[in-house]
Amino acid sequence: MKPITVKLTDIRKSFGGQEVLRGVDLAARDGDVIAIIGASGSGKSTLLRCIPLLEIPDRGEISVGDAQIRIRDAGHRFSRAERQTVSRLRGQLGFVFQSFNLWPHMTALQNVMEVPLHVQGRPRAECREEAEAMLAKVGLADKFDAWPAHLSGGQQQRVAIARALAMRPRALLFDEPTSALDPELVGEVLRVIRALAEEGRTMLIVTHEMAFAREVSNHAIYLQDGRIEEQGPPEQVFLDPQSERCRRFVGMSRGEG
Amino acid sequence: MDFAFIAQVFPKLLAGLPLTLLLAVLSLLGGGLIALGLSGLRASSWIGARIADFYVYIFRGTPLLIQIFLIYYGLAQFPAVRHSVFWPLLREPYVCAVLALMLNDAAYTSEILRGGLRAVSSGAIEAARVAGMTRLTMLRRIVLPLAFRQALPAYGAEITSMVKATSLASVVTLMEVTGIARAEVSETYRAIEIFLCAAVIYLVLVTVIARAVDALEQHLSPYRRPAGARSVA
Repeated sequence: MKPITVKLTDIRKSFGGQEVLRGVDLAARDGDVIAIIGASGSGKSTLLRCIPLLEIPDRGEISVGDAQIRIRDAGHRFSRAERQTVSRLRGQLGFVFQSFNLWPHMTALQNVMEVPLHVQGRPRAECREEAEAMLAKVGLADKFDAWPAHLSGGQQQRVAIARALAMRPRALLFDEPTSALDPELVGEVLRVIRALAEEGRTMLIVTHEMAFAREVSNHAIYLQDGRIEEQGPPEQVFLDPQSERCRRFVGMSRGEG
Repeated sequence: MDFAFIAQVFPKLLAGLPLTLLLAVLSLLGGGLIALGLSGLRASSWIGARIADFYVYIFRGTPLLIQIFLIYYGLAQFPAVRHSVFWPLLREPYVCAVLALMLNDAAYTSEILRGGLRAVSSGAIEAARVAGMTRLTMLRRIVLPLAFRQALPAYGAEITSMVKATSLASVVTLMEVTGIARAEVSETYRAIEIFLCAAVIYLVLVTVIARAVDALEQHLSPYRRPAGARSVA
């Protein structure tokens, strides 16, 4: 068995009395590609955002690589030591947002170099070389000096993926990476993510692209009402789910509902 | 129009330019620092925010000329001020003028800064947080650069309005461009020539500053401005 890279234990989270996550456990081993699916409001994005503590769970344990955070009650205030752990935890993850969230005052290359250079403190020449390589890898070798505002959505998302890769993360998290894109731009982003999966990178992907999720993942999780309703190999979850509600969900997305 | 007279009076007025510029630079620097302080205060707590709001309300809601009078003539009424260690400074018209301009500029600048900060998208901040940036790095690398770019056009207008506001310092005896102009007029009674000369000096100054701010904005955010757009001096 390969070592566990990302582990979540009993994650719970409420927003204003509404329970969004009701105790989720999840473990991603090195090289796993986990697809997280579910209807809107099932808690899948919240779950993903809890991993780098963009949302602070009310309860639960999160560990990424050598960083571990345990939260016992809602409204938890982090101590100084815990804040350092959170930084270390975040530093081992690359997060790709639905709406790209590039820094608009920096060129594509500057966006990709920013964290290695100014957070990780690596030498500038090395950062630049690696950033160029990452942009080339996502097919944007001709866009080093382009501003985000001058790029298409698909190109912006590929810059965002290059930015996440340049942090040398242990795991990549994708939060509906193609949901904000025009249909004709979805393919170019999925191709990049697929290539990363084939490289053996550890990834957690929240997505509505069912066919893509089935093909690219080695483990699928179906969330319903803040709980894992069904999980297993993608063939099982997508083609022969045990749970009635999961069957209905994947059936609907295949157009059989 | 007597051009020989204009040629003679123009250099006299120009002699006041260094003081005009010094007043503007000092009040913008001081005002900028106080504005940063007000932003910090506003972010600190509810009561801090109310204090900052009140400050802005007072200094934007009253004429700058009254503020100058209050500081120059008003403070001297208080024995405590006259006996304080600051008195040698506070009786100087120069210090009073800078103080009033500075406090006034701070109110406007803090509002401009607030608008700039509010325009920083939550997505840009989230991307910085998730990358493990510390608060300070995020402020330095993401938040302030974006807020500054957003605020630059409005701040450019504030710079030019401060340059023009320095002319009010002439009422407390300062011999900057307007002060010299008034003195010349009272000697020669040739108000049109002299004040037009003074107006031209301010106009050139303001034009140069507006162009410089435009150029800076073009340099910092080439992705933002539609071609041909230009701010009004």
